[in-house]
Amino acid sequence: MTPASGLRSPSRGLGLAALACLLLAALVQGGIETRAAGRSDIHPLLYLPSGKYLKIAALGFDGILADTIYLWSIQYYGNYQITDRYRYLEHIYDQVISELDPHYLDPYLIGALIMTAEARRPEMALKLLDKGIDRNPDQWILAFEAGFVCYDDLKDYARAGRYFEKALEVPGVNPVVRRLYAEMYNRAGDKRASLREWSEIYRTATDDYVRNIAWNHVHDLSVQVDLVELTEAVRLFARREGRNPRGLAELGSKGIVVDLPRDPEGRDYRYDPATGDVSYRGGLILAR
Amino acid sequence: MFARVAAIALNTFREAIRNRILYTLLVFAVAMISFAQILSLLTVGSEEKIIKDFGLASIDIFGVLTSVFIGIGLVSGEIERRTVYTLLAKPIHRFEFVLGKYGGLMITLLVNTTVMALWFFLVLIVKGMFDPRLVLAVLLLYFQFLLITAIAVLFSCLSSPILSSVLTLALYIIGHLLWSLDLLKEKLTSPVGKTACAALYYLLPNLQNFDIKGQVVHGLPIDPAVPAFATVYLVLYGSAVLLGACAVFQNKELQ
Repeated sequence: MTPASGLRSPSRGLGLAALACLLLAALVQGGIETRAAGRSDIHPLLYLPSGKYLKIAALGFDGILADTIYLWSIQYYGNYQITDRYRYLEHIYDQVISELDPHYLDPYLIGALIMTAEARRPEMALKLLDKGIDRNPDQWILAFEAGFVCYDDLKDYARAGRYFEKALEVPGVNPVVRRLYAEMYNRAGDKRASLREWSEIYRTATDDYVRNIAWNHVHDLSVQVDLVELTEAVRLFARREGRNPRGLAELGSKGIVVDLPRDPEGRDYRYDPATGDVSYRGGLILAR
Repeated sequence: MFARVAAIALNTFREAIRNRILYTLLVFAVAMISFAQILSLLTVGSEEKIIKDFGLASIDIFGVLTSVFIGIGLVSGEIERRTVYTLLAKPIHRFEFVLGKYGGLMITLLVNTTVMALWFFLVLIVKGMFDPRLVLAVLLLYFQFLLITAIAVLFSCLSSPILSSVLTLALYIIGHLLWSLDLLKEKLTSPVGKTACAALYYLLPNLQNFDIKGQVVHGLPIDPAVPAFATVYLVLYGSAVLLGACAVFQNKELQ
């Protein structure tokens, strides 16, 4: 054996021993992971203090810290094996991430999505989104998202309308918000206001797609509003005169209706003097 | 005088680029900037924010570490190796030696920051996410490194490398927490305490002046006065620290 090969052998032995130790360590880690699988241990990150205090410790790296916790949160809340994972949901998004980086929009949106779609806590989501709106008044998407939570989850159309209205105040808002805003009046039962909004969308539409959508709504809402108004007018006539009008034109001659409406196709509405019922000759477009 | 300072600076730069710490930090910085792309795949939403945050944070962290670990050995290393005697035996003033050393590290940091920034910008250009305001953010980070280097040089003239690194890193942390002194001042009732807080607030290095990372990443408006004030602050505070370092080294007994 040469001196050089004598030196190589011990170093090769040490290298192999190191490799063996590393493999054993990996095996032990595998054992730890296997034991931990399925256990719903509380993740240490859930115990993080408020972002207000973390910001102090971040030494100017609050942005990257918010990114890291956000990335972790997506993986954690997406893990269906942890059954009680929503316990600290509000703390992580509302107290930690949004405090560390108040202008980071994704955690507001994704946090709200997890709160509504997964944890079934829409009010918690609205609280988070309200905070985001307060800190990012130039971002329409947060008010839009809050409006959508009210519309889709809470079915509170008036509240949804208020959020959409707030989103519409932001320059550069997506035109779809205006359409949802108009529709919220309809869902809340205020068809006149909805018609006013849809008419404005129809008037200002710059492309055929939007104009067609708006026309469909304007058409149906016009019919519905006219029918309600004419029915009320017929009832008023009947109370005053003790009989139904012979025709709708009589409502005009008696001064109950100033300008007798026609349907969107320009025809008179159908009227039955025997029953006093007013109806539309065609069919509603959106009901088809 | 300028020629002598420049000669020392150039020599310090040559020495620094042979330092393995510099390359290790640079490799780690480049790796971390690249890693941000992989990490961004885990997100739901905007990848851009994560890539920009990680890129700027990497430049910041590794730039500060370079400033500290190379800065602290600039003077004390020369004393330990006794090479300072050879240098000072020549017709140069001690303050020229300190300024030259600082100048050398300025060039090293410029090269280091440029390499990290170019890699970062290249990643962003390829992904179509480049924002010219990032250049300003990196420039202000470079200014921060220059101030930290000045502090490291001062401590290097005063004490051992280990103590210098601890003190410089401590001042780095304090420099990012000075706003808390302002808050403390509001809470205190004693006029003496208030005055002490105010004095410390204005006398300690305020490194937040060089941090516009958040505004740049989120596309928020930046007051044009911020970079101007940061530049003037660097020149004045950096000069004060370097003059202090020159004064300390001038009176230092070299045995």
